[in-house]
Amino acid sequence: MLSRIPSSTIRRIPVLALAIVLSGCATKPPASDPAAVAAFAESNDQLEPFNRAMFKVDQGIDAVLTRPIVSTYRSIIPDPARRGVTNFLRNLRSPITFANSLLQGNVDRAGQTIGRFVVNSTFGILGFADIAADLGTPYQYEDFGQTLAKWGVGDGSYLYVPVFGPMSIRDGAGMLVDNFAFDPVTWYSYGKNPAWVDWAYFGALYVDVKASTMPATDELKASSIDYYAALRAAYRQNRAKEIRNGAPAPAPFMPAGEDDPFAAVPAKK
Amino acid sequence: MTISRRTFAGLSASFVALSKAAFAQDWRNSPTGLVEKFAEKGITDILGANITQREKTDRFRVLFKDFFDIPSIGRFVLARFARAATPEENDKFASLFEDVIVYTWSRRFGEYKGQSFKVKDSSADGDDGALVNSDIVGNDGQSFAVAWRLRKRETGFRVVDVIIEGVSMAITYRQEYATIIQQAAGIAGLLAQMQKQVDDLKAKVG
Repeated sequence: MLSRIPSSTIRRIPVLALAIVLSGCATKPPASDPAAVAAFAESNDQLEPFNRAMFKVDQGIDAVLTRPIVSTYRSIIPDPARRGVTNFLRNLRSPITFANSLLQGNVDRAGQTIGRFVVNSTFGILGFADIAADLGTPYQYEDFGQTLAKWGVGDGSYLYVPVFGPMSIRDGAGMLVDNFAFDPVTWYSYGKNPAWVDWAYFGALYVDVKASTMPATDELKASSIDYYAALRAAYRQNRAKEIRNGAPAPAPFMPAGEDDPFAAVPAKK
Repeated sequence: MTISRRTFAGLSASFVALSKAAFAQDWRNSPTGLVEKFAEKGITDILGANITQREKTDRFRVLFKDFFDIPSIGRFVLARFARAATPEENDKFASLFEDVIVYTWSRRFGEYKGQSFKVKDSSADGDDGALVNSDIVGNDGQSFAVAWRLRKRETGFRVVDVIIEGVSMAITYRQEYATIIQQAAGIAGLLAQMQKQVDDLKAKVG
């Protein structure tokens, strides 16, 4: 998901909330069908009618605007230079990871983030080269949505917002906090209101995120029947991995006392 | 009457030696060995082989059926709907699901550019199974974490799930298909849509 919202669009959020309310919620399966209830909880998409409508809008924006821009970007700018842009933006946004590492009580990670910032901003030429990763401290990303998750706040519901892509209500709220409290570009532009800085930054992040995720999402689209549902499933698992910081999934496969869902299927006689 | 311990040890040692010589397929009983073998065969016999796309697809189907437990994956993916479906529907699903995987994977064989594959470690998982962690490293140095969920079957280990960057293939299909079954026309609707997808993919892959 894209994780920056231009300051001038913040006042539109109530419009989004109103649209969610008006489009209604997905129908919960009856409690008498526990398997269906479990499946409903797994996809956690209480706003599905709204989300599908927004997804359609986003697919339209993708086709007419995003895809041409991103493919131009990918064809004009060579791969190493695009990596440089990614590195630069990551380095610029280090305070977000630093603050959220501290809020999650992970002092080691906060320290590593400072170390990376110092090394990459200097030897890495303003962050374009990720020297710190070569030296053994790879990039790590923490945001306020992850912090809230660590604090025990649930997803709310899956949420799809055009341009921003898939997220959850919790992570959308987390993004707002990161934007206002921890993003150095906000600190810089606060009070000065040079709208172009905000928009240029937003545009750079947008193109960077889309250029790096497009191969994977295109593949998912080509291999799925219901792309919306496949993207939701894939996004939620990937996000859960980010929140776990890459640790293996706590086997949802084998709840205590249940049979192995990957048990052998008896051969037919 | 008892067989002396020594005789027994000698007998079993020669039996082990014999079976090794006869089958030389120890890798089937080693989680990391199985995954390495799958990657090795995939790269040398399919991705890097100088054969037509159709031959690649055919070879992949053989490899896929040999290394993956497709019926078990199909059962997992259909989950609660498998119980409600007729035997014919379940059979139809199993064969379509195999086709979906074979054609979606073979669509991308042409994109292979010498990425390297490294098995990292393996841990216990589920009923007598294992989770093997591996990395696929591209030429630009970017790597993807790929985990392989295995289960022990009579003939050795079989793959039941592939998890790329935390995204499980089996769970993703399960959620997608559950949505289609609920929103479209039940199992029959899903089967019809899968058939159409397979036809489209076949036309593209050739």
